[in-house]
Amino acid sequence: MSAQHPIREEDLELLALGVIDGEECQNLRAHIASCAECSRNFAAAQGRVALFAFAAPSHNPSSDVRERLLKKIRAEGIPARETRPEKLSPSTTRPAIRWWNSFWIPATAILAIATVFLWVNDRHMDDQLQKMRETEQMFEGEMHHQRELVSFFAAGDTKAVSLSPKAKNSSDWARLRYNTRMGMVCYTGDLPTPPPNKEYQMWIVPIVGSPISAGAFMPAAFNNGHMCMVKMPEGISCKSFAITLEPMGGMPHPTGPEIVSGNGL
Amino acid sequence: MNRAQGIENGASDWSLLERVVRKDESALATLYDRYSGLVYAESIRILRDAGAAEEVLQDLFLQIWRTAEKFDPERGSLPGWLLVAARNRSISRLRRRDSRANDELTETSVVLPCNLESAAAQNQLLGRIKKTLGSLPNGQREAIELAYFEGMSHSEIAGRTGAPLGTVKTWIRTAMDTLKRELT
Repeated sequence: MSAQHPIREEDLELLALGVIDGEECQNLRAHIASCAECSRNFAAAQGRVALFAFAAPSHNPSSDVRERLLKKIRAEGIPARETRPEKLSPSTTRPAIRWWNSFWIPATAILAIATVFLWVNDRHMDDQLQKMRETEQMFEGEMHHQRELVSFFAAGDTKAVSLSPKAKNSSDWARLRYNTRMGMVCYTGDLPTPPPNKEYQMWIVPIVGSPISAGAFMPAAFNNGHMCMVKMPEGISCKSFAITLEPMGGMPHPTGPEIVSGNGL
Repeated sequence: MNRAQGIENGASDWSLLERVVRKDESALATLYDRYSGLVYAESIRILRDAGAAEEVLQDLFLQIWRTAEKFDPERGSLPGWLLVAARNRSISRLRRRDSRANDELTETSVVLPCNLESAAAQNQLLGRIKKTLGSLPNGQREAIELAYFEGMSHSEIAGRTGAPLGTVKTWIRTAMDTLKRELT
């Protein structure tokens, strides 16, 4: 006992035993409540006094009590947790849940970002794939055209025709290769660029009947002249060829001036 | 699981309480098997009524189930709290008082001078306490029993026994000294 701690160890034991009552009991409890050291000493005194419980004759509760207890806690289920901080330990379940939360929240965010990135990347890949398919179709078309040209020029029944200018002192010239079986005409020549809203139109003059259009065309630059391929009706007998200047889009019958012409037989 | 199995279960009270916090029913059952005999024997000695003692026992373990997270192992031991709370509640029932507000897990700290988690420890302590109390003079033993099991104060014991108040105080103090000496 000291000035700071006016309670003797024996008094703590007597208080724990419950033999001190009245005002003395209240004063002692008031001091213990405000003094950490006396509070610890009182906890130890309560422990020593509690051992008197062993003086009681041995008795065991019936097994029904255990069953009733377990039945009751099952019926209660898991009560809602209180908001007060736990005193049990730093390793109880709740900190473990917090740890998992601290893992799952950023993991979910990373997963969401990765999903958006993959989705954008997937869209980009789709676009690229579509462009590649279009390019492939273009190359396939071009390859088919080139094969047609090779077949056209290599075919034994492809014929050549020279077309002469109608105007005197004109340097215009044109040469045709045609194949009535394949329905193709290849033009090469050096015709001037047509005026605005005008284009050249090729005519096949059959042995019998009116001139047949072999299509309108704008000659493309090719070496020192121009070259283009046009379609012609298949299986007709050609008497001659002529090229006229017609309105853009072509005409069903020749209307413009004849620029060049030549014998097809 | 019976009581012996609960006592011999190697898990510490502390780890079992952690599992009770997580609502592990088997952990509470193990604690019950470990300490229900001690608590019930103390309670029925005070109340002398099996039904009332069973109610006290069940209430205490329900309180552990509901508020185990409040238990601070640094402030005491579980069997210490059980013995003190069972005594308080039983004496209160005996005297028609309500003492529950004073034995919350957070309010009552009890540090036992020994570990009661094993059956061997419990049996050894039981033998030593009975031997120590058996060696006390009748006056001292009766005064301690009236104080502990019936919750009487010095003056009440003097009134019951007819002994002078000073004598009662001496009996009790001497008995406590003897107990401490025998247990250290």
